[in-house]
Formats: sequence, C-alpha cells, structure tokens
Amino acid sequence: MTDLSSRFRYFVAAAILGAASLAVTGAHAQDTIRVGAPLPLTGPLSPEGLKQKRGYDLWAKTVNEAGGIAAGDKTYDVEIVYVDYESNTPRAVQSAERLITEDEVQFLFSPFGSGAAKAASSVSERYRIPTIAATASSEQVYDQGYKFLFGTFTPNSTLTDPLARIVADSGEDIKTVAIYARNDLFPLAIAKEMQASAEGNGYEVVSFDEFSVGTVDHASALTLMRQSQPDWIFATGYINDLILIRRQMADLGVEPQVLTMLAGPAYKEFTEATGDSAENVSSAAWWHPAVAYDGKDVFGSTADYVAAFEAEYGSLPDYAEASASAAGVILQAAIEDAGSIDPQAVRDALAGMDAVTFYGPVRFGETGQITSLEPPVFQIQGGEPMVIYPDAVKQSDMQYGGIQ
Amino acid sequence: MLYLQILLNGLMLGGLYACIAVGFSLVWGVLNVINILHGSFVVLGSYIAYFAYVHLGIHPFFSIVLSGGALFALGYAVQAGLINRVVGAPVLTTLVLTFGLDLLLNNSMLLAFSADYRTVRLENPFGSLVVANLVVPLNRLYAMLLAVVLTGLLYVVLMRSRIGRAIVAVRMDPEAAALMGVNVKRIFALTFGIGALMAGGAGSLLSLIFPISPLASTDFLGIAFVVCVLGGLGSIAGAMVGGLALGVIQSFGALFIGPEHGLTIAFVLLIILLIFKPTGLMGRRGYE
Repeated sequence: MTDLSSRFRYFVAAAILGAASLAVTGAHAQDTIRVGAPLPLTGPLSPEGLKQKRGYDLWAKTVNEAGGIAAGDKTYDVEIVYVDYESNTPRAVQSAERLITEDEVQFLFSPFGSGAAKAASSVSERYRIPTIAATASSEQVYDQGYKFLFGTFTPNSTLTDPLARIVADSGEDIKTVAIYARNDLFPLAIAKEMQASAEGNGYEVVSFDEFSVGTVDHASALTLMRQSQPDWIFATGYINDLILIRRQMADLGVEPQVLTMLAGPAYKEFTEATGDSAENVSSAAWWHPAVAYDGKDVFGSTADYVAAFEAEYGSLPDYAEASASAAGVILQAAIEDAGSIDPQAVRDALAGMDAVTFYGPVRFGETGQITSLEPPVFQIQGGEPMVIYPDAVKQSDMQYGGIQ
Repeated sequence: MLYLQILLNGLMLGGLYACIAVGFSLVWGVLNVINILHGSFVVLGSYIAYFAYVHLGIHPFFSIVLSGGALFALGYAVQAGLINRVVGAPVLTTLVLTFGLDLLLNNSMLLAFSADYRTVRLENPFGSLVVANLVVPLNRLYAMLLAVVLTGLLYVVLMRSRIGRAIVAVRMDPEAAALMGVNVKRIFALTFGIGALMAGGAGSLLSLIFPISPLASTDFLGIAFVVCVLGGLGSIAGAMVGGLALGVIQSFGALFIGPEHGLTIAFVLLIILLIFKPTGLMGRRGYE
C-alpha cells in the first residue's frame, strides 16, 4: 500500500510539474501562432502523414526566416504542433481536441484524407477554430454546413471528368471501361465518380469490382479483365496497391489501351517501383510541379516553391506536399488580411479570400471547398509525369496503347 | 480455361503463402510460442534482399543465404536471450513478449528504412510463360519452387539430422527429451532461429513480388496464422497444404463472389474447418 500511495504522490507531483511547464510555454507563446496538426506519422498512412509534415515544415521554416506573419501592428512566429494519431481515425479526433484544449493552438490543419478530416472537423467547429484540410477532396466532408472548415482539394469529379473528356475527344476506339477500386473512402468515392464520368461520356462500364484493404493478390480480378478485354482500366487505391496491381497486370499480360491509376503515379516511388511498366499510365492530381502560377505568397512563383522544396528535401514536391504548404500559405494570407489572429476574423478572411499563390488561385465556395483550381491530368512518359491538361500548362499529348 | 488459370494463380499464391507460414508453424508447434515477430522477420528478409540487390547486385534467389543467415542469428539471439526466460509461462506471456519485440523491430525498420514502398526491379525480368493461353508469371513460379525446395530441406533436416530429431523430440515432450540428454533451451533457440531463417528466406523470395515496407508485416503475420490453423500446427506438410488451400480458395472466392470477398470466404471456410476438424487439414491429435 505504501508503495502504491507513494507512486500516486509521484504522479500527482509529475502532473503538477507538467501543468506548470505547460503554463510557462503558454506565457511564451503570445508572439507565436500555434497551429495544430494531427498527422498519421506512424502506421499504414505514415508515408502520407510524413508528406504533409514536409509541406507544413517548409512553410513554417520559410515564414519564420522571412520574419514571421504580420497581423495588424504585431508580428508572429509560426509553430506547428504535431500529434501522431497512428493512422487511427478516432485517435485523430481525440488529438484534434487535445491540440485545441490543452496545447491551445489557435488554428488547425486537418488530419489526413477525407474520412479523418470529416471526423475531426466537428471538433474544430465546436471550438470555432479555423481549420484547413490539405488532403480531403470528397464533397461529403464539406457539406455539413460548417463555417470554420476550408479545403484545398477540389471535388473528386474535377479529376475524373477531364480524363473522360480527353479520352472521348481523342478519336481513339475506346468504348469499354473496367473499374477496380480499393474498398476505402477516397478510392471508392473517386471510382464511383469515374463511373459517372465514363457513363456521362458514353462509355460502357463492363465491370466495377472492389478489393478489400490488405489484399495481397489481384490475380483473379485481373484474369477476369484479361478475358473481358476492356479498352480502359481504371484502378484506384494507394501506392502499394497500385504497384502490386501494375506488376500483376504485366505478369498476366493485361494490356488495355488506356490505364489510369489513382492515387499513386504522381509519387516518384511509383515510377521507381514499376520501372518501364509505369510508361503511359495516366492519372490526375490536384497539383503538379509543372503548373506555373505567379504567387503573391511567401514562396512566390510555383517554380520558386519547387526550388525551395528541392533545396530542403532533395526531391520534387508532389501534390500532397504542395497542398500542405498551400494550407500554410492560405492561413497566413487570411491572418494578414484579417489583421489579427481572432478566429472569427480569420475565418471571414478565408471565406472571402481571392488570392493567387504558388499552388494556384485560391477562392473557396459556399461549403469551404476550394473552387478555383483546375486539377492537372498527367501521364507517365519517359519515366516522368507529363501534364496533358489543362492546356495552359500542357507538356505533352496523351498517348494511347503502349501498356505492356 | 478460365478455371485452370484461376487454379494456377491460386497454386502460385498458395506456394508463397506456405513459404511465409512454415517458420511460424514450426515455432508454434515446437515452442508453443505464437511468434508475432514473424511478419517483421519476413519484411526484414525482404529488406536484406533489396539492399543486397541494389548495392551488391546479388539476385534475391541467392541472397536467401544472406537473409536466412542473418535472421537465423537474430532469431537464435532473441530466443536464447529473451524468450527462453519466459518460455515455460502461459502462452499469453510469450505472446505479449513477442508482440512487444515486434513493435520494437517494426518501428526500428520504419525509422531505418522509412515507410516508403520499395521493390526489387530485376535488370532482366523473368517475364511470363504463356502455354495455350495460360499465363504463368515466372517470378512467382520460381519463387514458389524455391520455397518448396527450402521447405523440403527443412523437412529433411527435421527427419534425418540429430538436431532435427532433437527438435521433434522436444516438440513431443520437453521433459522426456531433457531426461534423454537434449539441451532443451538450446533446441528452443535453434528452432526459433530456424523459424526466423525460413521467414528471412521467404522475405528474399517475396521481395520480387510484393512491394516492401514495414507495414506489410501484419499482412504476412495474418497469412501465416490462417495457413497454420488451416493446415494444422507444427507440421511442415500442414503448412504446405494450408498455404495451397488458402491460395486456391481465395482465388476461386474472388472469381465467384468478387475480389473484395476472397479473404472473407477463406476465413469462413477456416471457421467451418475449426468446427468440424479443429486440428486442421493435416494436423493430428498426437505427435508425428
């Protein structure tokens, strides 16, 4: 018993000390803007979480080196407070709440993906904390009537519609589409969007199959596709699924005219892992390093941003990394416009924003989702993702066939 | 023709499954330890194969020696240094211990290698064999054949060598084996080492087929678990039959009911089997 009670006393002492040190950091924080970022830094989503972290870190570093954020007559440094939610969505919601109530962050960057961003948005809405989602595209995240949530990805249909139109307008003899989707919120949502886009453009969808999370073999589904010979295969999932699917397609000799994969080919890991068989795989993303905007933000033009990113991390930024940096840039612009860090004022500045950033023009719709972007369609050609659409930043024409 | 192709797909997948499971089955059968580390051992074997190929140009089929050797040493050390201390305790204790060790190993791999997916991309890929419109991916075929050879070797070692007989003796009755002069703790360490060796070898073979990442370890562990229960514990033939059965069932399940239900069907059959033949397809109530 003595042992237990002395331990208890120890814990109480530790807790008081901990609270005191928190209070001290709180006092220091008056000239620092604290932005909470719950991220999946470990677990299955950690590659995505780490990408987002790179984007946020680059923004915070660049802002602080440039002297901070000016709001009214005050200047603030930026500190991003990370919490690892271990790829566990309920824990993402708890982390968001903890960041707001205990770490006293003034702003929040949403957790990864549509599902977790939607779940955590109810917390930030309750506490009236302006929140920016850098990787949530599904409209269901934004149609909840929330006032404090903003997102930097356009709806899923803005990816699949241009793709379907480009292929339809090409004059190639492409009539049938097979869709193969990971049974997970985003991959399934975009697959359904693709079905709508394909049918809207007059294609026949010959099959729509789902595979479960953790599938290590796609041979049966691909064997069936080898039989039905669709002109176009549209596969969705995350990068490990798509690498495996692409390799098994090559093994089994499944060779459609058009092969589209989402979301993975934008990452260099995909091309590295699949080599020659990445050739002519088409995809779409919300951003691409080849787009060119003359931003008025801390990074400047898109090319400047890409150069800064390369200098910091030694690789080209992909859309997830750029979107995370853009979330920072957008928050900064809103604080500067509002002239204060008052949550309501910053929220109103976000809602009324009309700015050009390295990421593209930024205007939010009624629901808080960005409406001003035209997501690029691209295709791997010569080992590099080449932009096919929109015309303003087009690098190459879509190639048909050549899927080996 | 379609069914034949699906059967082929299933057999080749099943061979890989068997290869993943055989070391797990050995350890479970002999030590009564459910080795949660097994999936991470397979992944570590894949990384060794990956780095051996990228930096030294050693083909994954030959780096089995490297990955198997390294994993054997690691497995032996883990058993001799840690698990042997609690091996007599109820199964939950060793389960928790290997679970904790797995967290350590898996997160160390995440730190060291990051979670990015890597693949061994051969300079001269094997391609596929096409016979009468049936496609046989050669990398899978060779990997499966090697897995069978490796498993056969293990079988011969267990049946013919002194150490192998000692392992089987310990499996039957540790006390009696000890009375006969077998150093049981050493045999435990050797068995665990051999289990890890098989995992490492499997990792080398799989590096040609699956994207490599520490995150894959739970998938591999799950497969090993199902194969063992399906085929029967601790018997090498059981792991082989269990692996092939799981591969074939999953392939046909995906064909008839849809790819998202392939695993569900395998698990439903597993439950049915557990109800009617709880020892598994090849398991016996006694000892071999």
